[in-house]
Amino acid sequence: MAAYLSMGEAHRRIADYLSRVADSISSSDGAALASLLAVSFAQSSAPLSDALSAFPDFPRLAADRYPHLSDLLTPLLRAIHSHSLRRFADAYSSFEKAANAFLQEFRNWETPWAMEAMHTVALEIRLLAEKADRELATSGKNPDKLQAAGSFLMKVFGALAVKGPKRIGALYVTCQLFKIYFRLGTVHLCRSVIRSIETARNFEFEDFPVKDKVTYMYYTGRLEVFNENFLVADQKLTYALTHCNPQYESNLRRILKFLIPVKLSIGVLPRITLLERYNLLEYADVVTSLKRGDLRLLRQALERHEDQFLKSGVYLVLEKLELQVYQRLVKKIHIIQRQKEPAKAHQIKLEVVVKALKWLEIDMDVDEVECIMACLIYKNLIKGYFAHKSKVLVLSKQDPFPKLNGKPV
Amino acid sequence: MDLLEDDDEFEEFEIDQGMHRFVSVPLFCSFVADDPEWDDKEEGNEAVQQWEDDWDDDDVNDDFSLQLRKELESNSSKN
Repeated sequence: MAAYLSMGEAHRRIADYLSRVADSISSSDGAALASLLAVSFAQSSAPLSDALSAFPDFPRLAADRYPHLSDLLTPLLRAIHSHSLRRFADAYSSFEKAANAFLQEFRNWETPWAMEAMHTVALEIRLLAEKADRELATSGKNPDKLQAAGSFLMKVFGALAVKGPKRIGALYVTCQLFKIYFRLGTVHLCRSVIRSIETARNFEFEDFPVKDKVTYMYYTGRLEVFNENFLVADQKLTYALTHCNPQYESNLRRILKFLIPVKLSIGVLPRITLLERYNLLEYADVVTSLKRGDLRLLRQALERHEDQFLKSGVYLVLEKLELQVYQRLVKKIHIIQRQKEPAKAHQIKLEVVVKALKWLEIDMDVDEVECIMACLIYKNLIKGYFAHKSKVLVLSKQDPFPKLNGKPV
Repeated sequence: MDLLEDDDEFEEFEIDQGMHRFVSVPLFCSFVADDPEWDDKEEGNEAVQQWEDDWDDDDVNDDFSLQLRKELESNSSKN
């Protein structure tokens, strides 16, 4: 609870804050400005919030003292005030006004000295919009602030993704946009920013800050998973994994959550120690099912973790592992047969596969199994041909079960 | 669409690593800008080494394979 605050003291605190903002701008101190714009770090600005409550005439104070900055300062104070009262939709609207005024100023500054402050604004507007939307949704109103924050950030992106020294800050804003688009389920909007980042002639991707590159590769890697471009997804997510700050375990885990299904789909398995280390044991049975050729186990694992896999969008990727599991099962049947009767090992009766599946409690007749085997041959998971009449799969004597070797099925 | 949570949202990296020109300690935040651990070494995180691509061997002595063998042999005796 705020202690009693005299008008004089409240006035002094607000004036102090305003002068620090104005000073940081006139002295081009980007770091100081950034921290002053971080309105949602409430604990830090509590003395200021109390002062704003005690001195309701604060908008005039800003306008009188700093008329040239009042478009920025007045809504900024309102945003801090509303935020401290937990009126987030109001706080968002005020902050958006301040953000627009700030962007206006930022465009006119030739050097990127205020980049950190611009990034703080980009982060803050997203976080505030999320809080505002939560509040609006709870009171039955249309939660449209996050979308509005996305529009604002597109303007920021436009101001940064140009030739010149400000471009280095564009990737950070791109990542904020990704977070918004993924949250809103409008990932198709990522495309135009990606094109702008990846087709730049005058700026090497490698020159962006590491943390932004890692975040960018995580999100674009996920997009490639959705598009089933597993090779590109592998590249991007592996880049993110390699360069991610090891202290951010939760981010490593997020990367792995998508990289594991991608790797599985190209025939590379994670070690169980990796799954244990990052608490991704929902993949353990999937891995075992591939090793064994245990179709039943794969289906059980998918069923058990269905909600989770669907939510992350990897369910379909995992479902497609069935073909690899079939391949493994047929290979095991072949090896077992070879040990018993080497001369006939390359002939697999479809009936035998039916029996094996029945043992795994999967009911399939010979025709269905033939269909699956045809698919395996077509996908180059099995080399061989059918003797249709005798219902026998005849395996090639050379490399009958080609490995994926890092290629997608 | 649940706006309240998104487990898969990437956590913000607080430290402006790789952007030394702008690095500084924000007045109001308690984290430190100095992060010697994250030196972005070429070989990357240990997790990068934790994969196997030679798992698809000819070994059929695991429990699953032994049971499969038993099953297939009982079949062939029936036929």
